[in-house]
Amino acid sequence: MSLVDLEISRRTFFTAGAATMAAAGLLPRAAHAATDGTPWYRQGAIETTFGVCDMCPWRCGIVVSSVNGEVRKIDGNPADPKSRGMLCARGQGGVSFMNDPDRLQAPMMRSGKRGEGSFEEVSWEQALDFIADKLLEIKERSGPEALAIFGHTSGEYWFTDHFSQAWGTPNAAKPSSSLCLSPREEAAQLTLGMGVGGHEPVDWDGLRCLTLIGSHIGEDTRNTVMQDFADMWGDGGKVIVVDPRFSSVATKADHWLPIKPGTDTALLLAWLNVLVTEELYDADYVRGWTTGFDRLAAHVADKSPAWAASITDLSEGQIIETARVMAERKPQSVIMPGRHVTWYGNDTQRLRATYLVNALLGAYGRRGGMYFNKAPYLEEYPHPPYAVAGSAGGCSAGAAETSDELPLGPSGKARADGARETFLRGATALQELIDPMITGDPYRIEGLIVYGTNLLNSVPNKPRTREALAALDLVVAIDVLPQEHVAWADVVLPESTYLERYDTLWSVSHKTPYIAMREPAVAPMYQTRPAWWMARELGLRVGLDAYFGWETIEEYLDRELRSVGSSLDEMRANDGIIIQNGKPYLEDYDGASPFHTPSEKIELFSQQLADAGFDPIPEYESTPEPPRGFYRLLYGRHPVHTFAKTQNTPALNERYPTNEVWINAQAAASEGIRDGQEVWLENQDGARSGPIAVKATERIRSDAVFMPHGFGQNAPGLTRAHGKGASDTELQTDYALDPISGGAGMRINFVKIVTEV
Amino acid sequence: MAQAFVLDLGRCIGCEACALACKTGNELPTGVSYIELIEQVRGSFPDLEGGFDNHRCLHCQDAACVAVCPTGALYKEDGLTRLNTPACSGCEYCVTSCPYDVPRMVDGASTKCDGCKATTDAGGGPWCVSTCPSKALEYGERSEMLRTARTRAEALRAHYPNAQVYGETQAGGLGVILVLPDDPEVLGLPRDPDPPTVANVWQGVVQPVSIGLIGATAVAAGVAGVIARRNHMAELRDIEEAEQLVGDGDSSEEA
Ligand code: SF4
Ligand code: SF4
Ligand code: SF4
Repeated sequence: MSLVDLEISRRTFFTAGAATMAAAGLLPRAAHAATDGTPWYRQGAIETTFGVCDMCPWRCGIVVSSVNGEVRKIDGNPADPKSRGMLCARGQGGVSFMNDPDRLQAPMMRSGKRGEGSFEEVSWEQALDFIADKLLEIKERSGPEALAIFGHTSGEYWFTDHFSQAWGTPNAAKPSSSLCLSPREEAAQLTLGMGVGGHEPVDWDGLRCLTLIGSHIGEDTRNTVMQDFADMWGDGGKVIVVDPRFSSVATKADHWLPIKPGTDTALLLAWLNVLVTEELYDADYVRGWTTGFDRLAAHVADKSPAWAASITDLSEGQIIETARVMAERKPQSVIMPGRHVTWYGNDTQRLRATYLVNALLGAYGRRGGMYFNKAPYLEEYPHPPYAVAGSAGGCSAGAAETSDELPLGPSGKARADGARETFLRGATALQELIDPMITGDPYRIEGLIVYGTNLLNSVPNKPRTREALAALDLVVAIDVLPQEHVAWADVVLPESTYLERYDTLWSVSHKTPYIAMREPAVAPMYQTRPAWWMARELGLRVGLDAYFGWETIEEYLDRELRSVGSSLDEMRANDGIIIQNGKPYLEDYDGASPFHTPSEKIELFSQQLADAGFDPIPEYESTPEPPRGFYRLLYGRHPVHTFAKTQNTPALNERYPTNEVWINAQAAASEGIRDGQEVWLENQDGARSGPIAVKATERIRSDAVFMPHGFGQNAPGLTRAHGKGASDTELQTDYALDPISGGAGMRINFVKIVTEV
Repeated sequence: MAQAFVLDLGRCIGCEACALACKTGNELPTGVSYIELIEQVRGSFPDLEGGFDNHRCLHCQDAACVAVCPTGALYKEDGLTRLNTPACSGCEYCVTSCPYDVPRMVDGASTKCDGCKATTDAGGGPWCVSTCPSKALEYGERSEMLRTARTRAEALRAHYPNAQVYGETQAGGLGVILVLPDDPEVLGLPRDPDPPTVANVWQGVVQPVSIGLIGATAVAAGVAGVIARRNHMAELRDIEEAEQLVGDGDSSEEA
């Protein structure tokens, strides 16, 4: 359906829906409708508000329909460059997420031991006063740096970015950096002098060949990517999928390469070898826009397809053929950078190899290749200079820090995550802040605010995280749901969902930079409050008044919008979106370089890495193999779920209530395991999770197992998700630290199948 | 004017957005779903192919379920198969007669997609169609949808040489015209669904009787209940045998 149709049908729909229909009595009753059968859109006038979806971090623009003060339906905002009027399954489940009866409803303070989960309700005054006193004590005793702030989901800005920097802690971190994107962003900074950004800048319109390495379009259901993929594929574009598993998107692939896990860099080097030796690269582009080609050519001379075939378990012919398929379609041919790239601890180098292939294909800044995204112009609400410059990174990160000096907090301490010592650069590594909570090395982290981060279902090495939670002087959990880690908090603050609150404006780096707004469709349910309100109330209590100088959130938003000549009212009148012009292609730079590397070129050879003692051109490094009787533990997504966030949402839980573990059918048979059998998984360190049902399938290699992430949660307050399936995080007791980006490689864990408790 | 859907199973990537949009737009209660995504992968590692079956009501023109429905709860309108749930007696005849295994009994009543009757009557589009990120679904006038399906099958041949349209004629022509990546048999669909012989007879003989009964008595629901409790499978089999005896077994009605 085209956008125009959608818009028209949407408008007609509202008009018709708002009108009372005399004929309604003639209609058959809607099957099993929750009410007397009158469809929701005939129960009263439809009131629509604009918003931004928060069911995953992709942030599609939405139109929320409410009737008689209740949210009834969420649809994509046709004017929004991400949703274009459509939503994924999770986005459709937003109403159900909001109405989850398990939601946190009132502020609470701990009444038993940490981790026990006994709380008593308190007033907002009591909760906030208590936290403020504790924060000031910590600051007095050990400096503001002794507070760590972790943030995820869409209100993270208020705590991980704004409050943290105003307060003066460099220890603010997001799982979306070191547990997800850091290697991708650092590799891009090093190679191209720019980050990839939240919205991967694949120029889908005109793309003729797409290569995916471990990207799971269709299981990872980011709406726009599915839309663009379907259009590109539907127009006959070639698709190459490299994956140990015949994923949903692999079913659409023209070439599926079932690679041995952990060997992707060997494949990438062999592709570079074919491009160079067969002279299939874009010679003009390479001459004009890259440096270090000769050294790269020499480096890959012995990385032949035959060499890679023996490592990757692919055939020499497959490797050569796919390189040619890519090259025939250059520069409208790209390897997508992907998300969640923290796999084996050498991930920055793998991503660099990916970008080198794209560079030889001449893809950057070319139509149908990779465009350059641009952030929209928008001025922040004025505030005094921050006490410390943050580097929390995350999905929406701008350019990462590049100077050699780490910023110091007010009492002279830099980040406690080991940056510059155990790893080179990049956003604050969340998992590296856990040890300092226990060991006090380099200094003790004493307090922790966890905003929307599912700590015990995302950070590897759970026993260590629990130990840290027990050791802290203050733990504050801000969340919508009683997630597993909430039981460890001293104070729990219940947050309003994205349908009940205003938020910051979304400035999205994009081909067409744009600004989106979120306004409440309904008043906050229960005693919940928005993140901005909580951050401000805390700020006012700890002397940060100057950073929260606005009276109302509407005033704050209007002031920011004034910088682009708009206002909340005007945005509402204009479909909730402001679109600006981008500079997507090389020709938009009038000969100047868009690549902000030291050489102003794409650095095929990285002097920066050489200077820091790393391989200036990626090398293939092997990763340990599974011991006998063990499989490599791979994990990913189910299309109706996001992280460990939506498993309890009634409408989504109903479709996929528990996970299953994929085991190669032959491997299962030889272990005497049946399809559907309940088993437990036990990892190399004896950590166990389950029971979980076996999916014996041809769709995966026999040296790895796969499970959708986010299940096996141990959170009794989540009545639907508690104890369902197995937890990959529980089985990730180990991780490999990426020495360049600080990413935590999690695919180095192995599991065996256990059939008895 | 006959309406129809196009469902492009080449494009469908099994993301389940349609199922959730149907659920939330129609506010279906727990346990009711009109769409199931069923993995359909064939072959053995690493020689695999396939995708997803997007299993839902195909809105047959010659709908077996409508033919056997003794109460008129299932009926045709605008080329689509509607369901007036309050009229359903719970006899389950539709469940056993559907050649595509679609209707499901929930709380004693038949449930299945009704083509978003209420929503389209209100001027909206079917929920599943408007949300599908892969644009695997379309809705509109049937002749237009047939053209679209042919164009889509043509485009799909870039990836699947055997791509084809299904539902032009099957079961009298489907109201959900499928674009298939391969032959119907490969995807578990009957190339020609069994002509609804039994259903025709049921409609021709039994249904008027039951409707007559309902009309003739004040306790219609009770009578429908009696009908429902009969062993209808045995009954249908008897009728079919009788049909074959008189040598009129094949009454396929392809338009
Ligand atoms: S991709 Fe889905 S869950 Fe994520 S923002 Fe968009 S609609 Fe929401
Ligand atoms: S929304 Fe579209 S792509 Fe997703 S499962 Fe439904 S038909 Fe398939
Ligand atoms: S047409 Fe309407 S009722 Fe039928 S599957 Fe689509 S959304 Fe559901």
